[in-house]
Amino acid sequence: MSVRSFHSVFMASAVAGAALGCYLVSLRVASERAALEDVESTIVQTQTDIRLLQTEVGTRSRLTQLERWNASALDLSAPGASQILGDKFQLATLVRPQHKLEVEAPVVLAAAPAPPPSQPLARDSDPDAAPAPSGDLLHTASLKVEPHEASARKQATVKLAEPKAQPAKAVAAAEKATGKKTGEKVAAAETKPVTRPVRTAKVDPLAPLPGGKSTAKGTRTDR
Amino acid sequence: MNAPTAALVAPRPERLRLVGQRRQILSLMHQRLMLGMLVYAGVVALIVLRILYLAAFGDHAGSRPTVSAYIPERGDIVDRDGQPLARTIDAWSIGLHPTKVIGDKLQLARKLAQLMPEKSEAEYFAMLRSGKNFFYLRRRAAPDVVEAVNALGEPGIALNREPERLYPQTFLAAHVIGFTNIDGHGAYGAERAFDKQLSDPALRGQPVQLSISMTVQQALEHELQDAMTKFSAIGAAGVVMDVHTGEVLAMTSLPAMNPNAPGKITPDQMFNRAALGVYELGSTFKPFTLAMAMDSGVVSGPGQMYNCPDALPAYGHIIHDTHPFGRRCSVAEIMMESSNIGMAQMADQVGTARQKAFLKKMGFLDRVEIELKERGRSLTPSTWGPFETMTVGFGQGIAVAPLQLAMGYATLFDGGVYHPPTILKIGPNHPLPPGRRVFTADTSYRMRSLLRLVVMKGTGKNANAPGYRVGGKTGTAQKVINGRYSQSINITSFAGVFPMDDPRYVIVVMLDEPKATKETYGFTTAGWNVAPVVGKTISRIAPMLGIAPDMHREPDMSEVLPYVQEAK
Repeated sequence: MSVRSFHSVFMASAVAGAALGCYLVSLRVASERAALEDVESTIVQTQTDIRLLQTEVGTRSRLTQLERWNASALDLSAPGASQILGDKFQLATLVRPQHKLEVEAPVVLAAAPAPPPSQPLARDSDPDAAPAPSGDLLHTASLKVEPHEASARKQATVKLAEPKAQPAKAVAAAEKATGKKTGEKVAAAETKPVTRPVRTAKVDPLAPLPGGKSTAKGTRTDR
Repeated sequence: MNAPTAALVAPRPERLRLVGQRRQILSLMHQRLMLGMLVYAGVVALIVLRILYLAAFGDHAGSRPTVSAYIPERGDIVDRDGQPLARTIDAWSIGLHPTKVIGDKLQLARKLAQLMPEKSEAEYFAMLRSGKNFFYLRRRAAPDVVEAVNALGEPGIALNREPERLYPQTFLAAHVIGFTNIDGHGAYGAERAFDKQLSDPALRGQPVQLSISMTVQQALEHELQDAMTKFSAIGAAGVVMDVHTGEVLAMTSLPAMNPNAPGKITPDQMFNRAALGVYELGSTFKPFTLAMAMDSGVVSGPGQMYNCPDALPAYGHIIHDTHPFGRRCSVAEIMMESSNIGMAQMADQVGTARQKAFLKKMGFLDRVEIELKERGRSLTPSTWGPFETMTVGFGQGIAVAPLQLAMGYATLFDGGVYHPPTILKIGPNHPLPPGRRVFTADTSYRMRSLLRLVVMKGTGKNANAPGYRVGGKTGTAQKVINGRYSQSINITSFAGVFPMDDPRYVIVVMLDEPKATKETYGFTTAGWNVAPVVGKTISRIAPMLGIAPDMHREPDMSEVLPYVQEAK
């Protein structure tokens, strides 16, 4: 009974409470918005300040001024065409590694001689191909120097081949020329035909030397 | 019987009647009261609602208008890299209200003259006594002056912050950027040309981006100023232009002006020699004539021979050469040694009608097609007969602006396609307008080696910048003084293109009345004074423009070298 009689009071207070709540919400929204506006205006203010400072710095460091300072103090100039490089290879060509000659160092082989394989080597990529000879696989990273004797023999064969290739007339003429001077050495010349070209090569036939006159003359008259 | 008697039906007593009346009155009063209450409640409700509305949606005290971004009073002008060329800042201005001055006027005038010595004490005193309402004492005043004036404590002096246009780079590109008048509207250059956009509140938030490159501009201006001082020239002009787009990367006119002090600019400084001034630029015109001849089929190639005597009589006049051949010479040699006689014969073969048509298509017979309002119109012969065709062929009798010449070279080396020059950066906001074909692509290609030859072996040797494959043409024109060609006073020019194996930029440089010096061995020709400017400028700007120097690249010189007779 009593509750019912207070119905209208409750209704009124509920409505008033709701209205108050709504008002508080809107108040909160308004205050938030105001704060946001404050931040925004601060941002704009800061932007203006930044602009002003940028303008000042830009004005003080204007290009004309920099150019003037450069002319009076720094004296820098634009890079020349040779100072600009296109790529890293061009850069690398500027620095040349120092070439060191190590004469004393012993010749080191880049590979150690291995015992010949007991079975043919199979290649990974090409199993059907015939196995390569072991000699092909072994590379030495040094110049092959032949023993002294072998080279001398080789030279002798070359020198022997020369007179063979020459017509027999030339050989006979040479014999005649030497025979004129030293008859005893004819036999020696026949046994050692190699030494003869070596001797003629020592004297330049075109040089006007009085000492070598006879030899030169001899060769020339034979022709 | 029971009928009421008269005595029984007595008239209503007075009291009852009164009661009825009172009720009526009472109800009336109730009604009035209710009405009054309703009105009152309505007013209260109205006030409450208004308060609620204001609380919810109204402005609170101290609220400022919402600004989401800074919008300047007038739009910025920036260069192609976004560097500011013109800005509006809040500057202090010092004003004077003579009527509001309360202190001793003579004393005040004395103090003002001390602080701001641009006016004398007497002038300040006259201002104070004039009775006028307002004077500007100084605009864009320095903060220390403002502070000192404020310390005077005179209520008649007004210190205000007002928007001021500032050009941070001062003299740089002043003729392109221009300046504003006292009302803040554009009066010259880009400020004038884009005034609408710069002052429109909807558009001014975005800066106007010019095609000018500050660094290129500085290099050009510096080298040109050096040459102008060295050769005591009365003026100079220079243009750097992108061949493919027609963008002006640098444009300068000397003597320079300071847009920060527009009141102090002299008419000579204000004159834009690059776009407004028109000059007979002489031999720099020859490549056009050759290209016309090639396009018309008159000249088959650089090997075609012409008779080049020491002097050529033509149509009642005699044409001379500075380096006469006195023999038959090839087109390549005519170009290399800049022979008027050879070129006149080519122009004669092209003919007046075709020459006019080509010049029209190249935009040489009209005003320069650029956004600036300060732009010149070319001067052409009033009677354009066969002899005039010959002289125009080697650049005499036709006066164009240096900017127009740059435009012509850009056309010639952009595969023969004309694009109108622009001072706005080509980009999404300003797309490249469609071009129109003037020369064939083949002619354009063949001109490369010919112009490279001029710099390698001909008159333009001093313009060479090692590694950047410069090609170009010198031009020395006699200046018309009192209606006659002067024999000693010249206008020298050089039009260069680089890199010649794939042309990207055009540079045109002009000196007005250069004098001979010891270094030039007494010569005042273009090869001695403007060509070095071009060489030095290109050495500076080419790396900035992204052109890699290469000592081993050249255009196809085998096309022209066989036709050049080596000097014995």
